[in-house]
Amino acid sequence: MKTAERQIVAFGGGGFSMESGNPLLDDYVLGLTGAERPRVCFLPSASGDADHYIVRFYRAFSAHRCEPSHISLFRREQGPGDLRRHLLSQDLIYVGGGSVVSLLGVWRAHGIDSILREAWESGVVLCGLSAGSLCWFAEAVSGFHGEPKRLRGLGLLPFSNCVHYERGSGRGEAYHRFLREGMRGGYAAEDGAALHFTGEELSRVVASRPQARGYRLDVAGSRVVEMQIATTYLGDREAVPAAPLPEALSTAPAA
Amino acid sequence: MGFASGPIPKATAVRRILALGGHEFSSRPPDRAVCELLLRLAGEGGAERPRICILPTASGDTSDQIASFYSAFGERHCEPSDVSLFRLGRRPLELRDHLLEQDLIYVGGGSMVNLLAVWEAHDIASILSLAWRQGIVLAGQSAGAMCWFEAGITKSSGRPLAAAGLGLLEGSLCVHYNNEPERRAAYLDAVGDGMPSGYGLDDYAGLLWEGEGTPSALTARRGARAYRVSRREGQVAESPLPARFLPAPAPAALREDIAEFRRIKTMRRRAGWLG
Repeated sequence: MKTAERQIVAFGGGGFSMESGNPLLDDYVLGLTGAERPRVCFLPSASGDADHYIVRFYRAFSAHRCEPSHISLFRREQGPGDLRRHLLSQDLIYVGGGSVVSLLGVWRAHGIDSILREAWESGVVLCGLSAGSLCWFAEAVSGFHGEPKRLRGLGLLPFSNCVHYERGSGRGEAYHRFLREGMRGGYAAEDGAALHFTGEELSRVVASRPQARGYRLDVAGSRVVEMQIATTYLGDREAVPAAPLPEALSTAPAA
Repeated sequence: MGFASGPIPKATAVRRILALGGHEFSSRPPDRAVCELLLRLAGEGGAERPRICILPTASGDTSDQIASFYSAFGERHCEPSDVSLFRLGRRPLELRDHLLEQDLIYVGGGSMVNLLAVWEAHDIASILSLAWRQGIVLAGQSAGAMCWFEAGITKSSGRPLAAAGLGLLEGSLCVHYNNEPERRAAYLDAVGDGMPSGYGLDDYAGLLWEGEGTPSALTARRGARAYRVSRREGQVAESPLPARFLPAPAPAALREDIAEFRRIKTMRRRAGWLG
């Protein structure tokens, strides 16, 4: 059963792609569907539909706990013929990592961009890591190839996004610079942290690792304000189901 | 670095494109003939060790395609490389510089729609067009052949449909002409409905453009043909083009260490039998 709520969970990094043996983020997104046996479709487009990645998805999302499927845009002769019908019938659409530039190019060519918006509006939970996180936002910092670059995503969420926001990765510096140069405000997430949006609002930050954090970044004049966001560690059994947001977050985004 | 292939006179560079209907990088004779042709074309610029780069984009940069390319060219007198746009994260590379210092750029097969979409996203089309004008040979099979034309017939969405290419070459191309009757039928219909006239290429047939004018047809397997496909007075006509046969070179000699390894293995096996 789907709720009509629009939900996106953007992982800074993590899930089966990066955290073998730690299913906390994947369990979290499955739980959001509210379905007993959720229908989950994996989109590995950003990896060029790499076989090994698809196999790992089926291992992690095994048939006893969900109904898994995938769409290979490089092998359309296999798999579902009607992409729109297939995607709209899912409870969860899970987007893998890789090249966000290639991802967006291939999606546009097959009309996936508009189908995903429709799926989101009809209550299908959207999630993904890395490129599969950046894609949902209006603007993104991609560090996939060489120097971090600034690029446009699908724009379902009217913010900017930066993933793998670890200290010393160089991404933080680049993100701050882009913000000073006029990029809209937004969110960053470390590996293991995930930003859960309901509608266009951040509702909470969850994590599969105790130390992983999410951040809110805004521009005030020529200054970048970065705030750590209270994060719920999913491995903690006493975790409060819905962590309250810090007050600063209830203010409207700067851009 | 940089001395191996000196710049050839750019202003007078001959624009060359080799379009192949379908082949693999195997050790079978017709595949060896295709590799030999690619090496020869790459070497015509005068480079001592010509640089040959594969763009496996249309396959989603599959390891299979990249590995078979290296197994065909790795031991030959050339400098093979690959530009895998889906894997740049692991191996950063100055795309434009790397492509423009090649002698030949080879585009692998797969999804033509995805190929052009990913190239557009990475702004590769303008680099390839410049490479072509500078005399770098452009080559490819299947999707990697149709991409140079104004249009092709792709199965990127499952069934055969018309798709636009880069348009460096005028007209259209349909590949795997002998092997995929439904693709050929879709092509004949499309040309009948107004797609620009062009060519049909069987697997192991190719067309080589060198400078202006008409291409020459080549074939690496007896019976493989290239066709001119055109619309005349409401009818679509196919006419086979006279083609030059490319003989397969002798198989490459085994590398000494591999040969030695095999000799030892044979001796051991015999010893086992005797003992």
